Amino acid sequence: MKTNQPNQSNSFKALALAGAFLASAFHLCAKEELNLYIWTEYLEPELIKEFETKYDCKVVESNFESNEEMLAKLQAGGSSQYDIVFPSDFIVPSMIKLGVLAQLDQSKLPELKNLSPQFKSPSFDPGNKFSAAYQWGTVGLVYNKTVFKEPLDSWNVLFKGEDSVRFSMFDSEREMIGVALSYLGHPLNSVDKNQLKAAADLMIAAKKRKGFKGFDANVSGIGKIKGKTLDVSVSYSGNAFAAMAEDENLGYSIPKEGSVVWCDSMCIPKDAPNKELAHKFINFILTAKIGAQLSNFTMFATPNAASIPMIDEETLKNPSVYPDEEAMKKLDFIKDAGPNTALFGEVWKMVKSR
Amino acid sequence: MRRSFSLLSLSAVATFVFLYIPLLCVAAFSVNASKFGLDWGGFTWDWYRKLIHNEVILKAAFNTLFLGLVSTAISTVLGTLLAIGIYRFPWRRKSLTRLETLLHLPVVTPDIIFAVALVIAFSVIRHFTGLFELGMTSMIFGHIAFQISFVALTVKARLALIGTDIEEAACDLYASYPRVLTKVLLPMLAPGIMAGAMLAFTLSLDDFVISFFTSGPKSTTLPLLIYASVKRGVTPEIHALSTIIMLLTIVCVIALQKFTYQRQQQEKQ
Amino acid sequence: MREPHQSDPSRSKPKTKIILHNGEMMSRGTMRLRQALLISPGMLAIILLLVLPSLSLFVVSFLSRGDYGELVMTFTWDNFKRLAGHGFFGWSADNLVIIRRSIVMAFFTTLICIVLSYPLAFFLASRPQKTRMLWLTLLLVPFWTNLVIRTYAWLLALAPEMPLAKVLSLLGIIDADTPLYPGAFAVYLGMVSTFLPFVALPLYTAVEKLDWSLVEAAQDLYASRLRVFRTAILPQTMPGLSVGVILTFVPTMGMFVVPDMLGGSRTMLIGNLIQQQFGTSRDWPFGAAISLVLMILTLSAMLAMRRNPAPGVH
Repeated sequence: MKTNQPNQSNSFKALALAGAFLASAFHLCAKEELNLYIWTEYLEPELIKEFETKYDCKVVESNFESNEEMLAKLQAGGSSQYDIVFPSDFIVPSMIKLGVLAQLDQSKLPELKNLSPQFKSPSFDPGNKFSAAYQWGTVGLVYNKTVFKEPLDSWNVLFKGEDSVRFSMFDSEREMIGVALSYLGHPLNSVDKNQLKAAADLMIAAKKRKGFKGFDANVSGIGKIKGKTLDVSVSYSGNAFAAMAEDENLGYSIPKEGSVVWCDSMCIPKDAPNKELAHKFINFILTAKIGAQLSNFTMFATPNAASIPMIDEETLKNPSVYPDEEAMKKLDFIKDAGPNTALFGEVWKMVKSR
Repeated sequence: MRRSFSLLSLSAVATFVFLYIPLLCVAAFSVNASKFGLDWGGFTWDWYRKLIHNEVILKAAFNTLFLGLVSTAISTVLGTLLAIGIYRFPWRRKSLTRLETLLHLPVVTPDIIFAVALVIAFSVIRHFTGLFELGMTSMIFGHIAFQISFVALTVKARLALIGTDIEEAACDLYASYPRVLTKVLLPMLAPGIMAGAMLAFTLSLDDFVISFFTSGPKSTTLPLLIYASVKRGVTPEIHALSTIIMLLTIVCVIALQKFTYQRQQQEKQ
Repeated sequence: MREPHQSDPSRSKPKTKIILHNGEMMSRGTMRLRQALLISPGMLAIILLLVLPSLSLFVVSFLSRGDYGELVMTFTWDNFKRLAGHGFFGWSADNLVIIRRSIVMAFFTTLICIVLSYPLAFFLASRPQKTRMLWLTLLLVPFWTNLVIRTYAWLLALAPEMPLAKVLSLLGIIDADTPLYPGAFAVYLGMVSTFLPFVALPLYTAVEKLDWSLVEAAQDLYASRLRVFRTAILPQTMPGLSVGVILTFVPTMGMFVVPDMLGGSRTMLIGNLIQQQFGTSRDWPFGAAISLVLMILTLSAMLAMRRNPAPGVH
């Protein structure tokens, strides 16, 4: 029996060695790295390139689609792998209590002064100790204008509307529950068990409807409407407007029963590998010019007072992007529920599993 | 008899069609020019072209291969030694049963239990030592865990096949045990080791669940990437990527068939 | 493997027993050392990477979850109580329904796979040598294609615009607008197409070795086709069938990718529930409890297989 097999096991070892070598070579040649853990489609590629050139580094973007997903990843051990995370307002207190955030060194953030008054020292993070506002916006219905001749003005379309309408619900715990509560006329942040149960039952009933096509997080609902597999979904304001700029058949509206207004911030995880660079990035975003460039891309509202003069006129006047006093009456911020946080988790579990 | 056979054949062919319909759909849409939706927009190779420049996909492909190679290398060594240790030596009946149970455990445990147990264990270790961040290392460990058993079982089959005669002959000729191992046993086992290694490699490339739970931000593999893209709204580039992976699979399967067929012919001689 | 022989009783050193193993003379101690050295890296790996983590799983299932999703070192039966249905909002059968659904789905998936695999196995076994390679390759390709790809491919195939949906609506089985997914139907399609090769391949191996003389004998005795199958074919193919069933039933219960992509959160299985706890719900203790239950289900299924009086099954 002829055997030439030892060569094969040797070549295996050689391959493995080569692989390890390549990997370490990759690592050595790399410049300083900034690891962002950010929502999908939330940062202009141009901006990234500008930052990379200015500070001679490489920016690596990892994406998440919901706050809970982000926090789960950080809790499971991501807090030493990312340099900056972008949580929404209501989850920042939880993150502070869990100890996954590092305090910001404000001496390295001179541009922090640019923030509008209501974003300086917000209720979820007094003194901007852990966060600096990034973008803010609303939650609303995004829909196909060719299907809905009239602008949609009610959450009805999800809960009680026509069966022929294909829709999906928002895959975001607090925000979707908040929407259901608002529809039923209850406060967005209610922790009343009966009200929460009613909201849960409402969403479970919606799941059983013929037109229900699943839960979509962040931008995937918009993608499906563009792909004509959905007629209406829930999304954030900026994502919808950015899509509408390219496709005039899309529309966005904030329903009359009420909705969520939110603010995302930049935070640094406790064991971030490159805190220096992270501070530089936050400062970079907070400058007037970059802030404007960012918002003109994302189509979200900027918290940066110094950037406002450079924002597109039309967008500034749009109450769905920059809610005026009238619009603000229908909107509410989601608040951290403290010890009642688990209650919302239970509701969401019920909704998802029945 | 003939009638029942053609009913069987019909059912069999229908089953084949059933298995292939989705795959053909993916291949068909990978050359569809329309970016969204399922209307036919014309034939195009664009998406394949874009793939080559897509850094994210290339990185994921690299990660997948690296993970596969490293974990296969380690698990093949461990699994082979394990198989030799268990099946070439006498054990008390109780010990053998215990060993075999441990050996079969990774094979029968559902992936997801494996994965979450690892996540918990890693975070416990991380709590006390700060090591074991979720990332390539944790993924490699996760893959090794289930690969060892598959390698060991494959080598076991080969061990049973080749019998102990030649080893005994070598010992009769006063060869030392290490020599017996390296010059006699391992070369004879090589086809089994190769088969085990290939099995382990394929399982690693294919793995989704364990990778899903143990991966870190920079260690995305191709299956993870495709999953995330589908959740976000699948793009034609993903169809193109999937079609390429399918074609590679076809090539590998054919190569493997030829390889085993040739080997069977050789062994008959 | 030969039994070790006793040493020559006339040797002058009775303490160290020399044994003959595979042609080599060595002391029992040396042999044991060798055994230990050979198996320890591998066994250590399995123990460290599977057994110990499983123990930590067991421990965590009795811990509590803090307000913000962190792990709190308080012993509690709560997680199991919740699994049995005692949640925040009173008793609900949610989780039990999920468990039942998983078992039912596993059962029917396995059944459908078996029904489809027998004709497939016979078909393959009856092909002439030349084309058999080709057909086997055809079966192996989907088998080795990545699960994620195979599952999302169904998303495409089941879309309303695609022929399948149109054909079904023409046949009047469904209305023109009803989507085939998300839903239980799509999940079944996905599961069956995933696990079919797992049943078909072992079954084919068994069918190939079938002793047709027994079948002919049964037919000569004017047995009905069903009887022939039951008495002559089934027992002979049992080993292959058992392998296929084990490879299908158990993993189906713990599957989460297929229901996740094709079920649209209407068809949640145990796997999805577990994944949710380690993902967005951040409730590790509850997730660990569910995993433990799945483990118990798995072991029960394995035990049930073992008690199956099939000859030579291991």
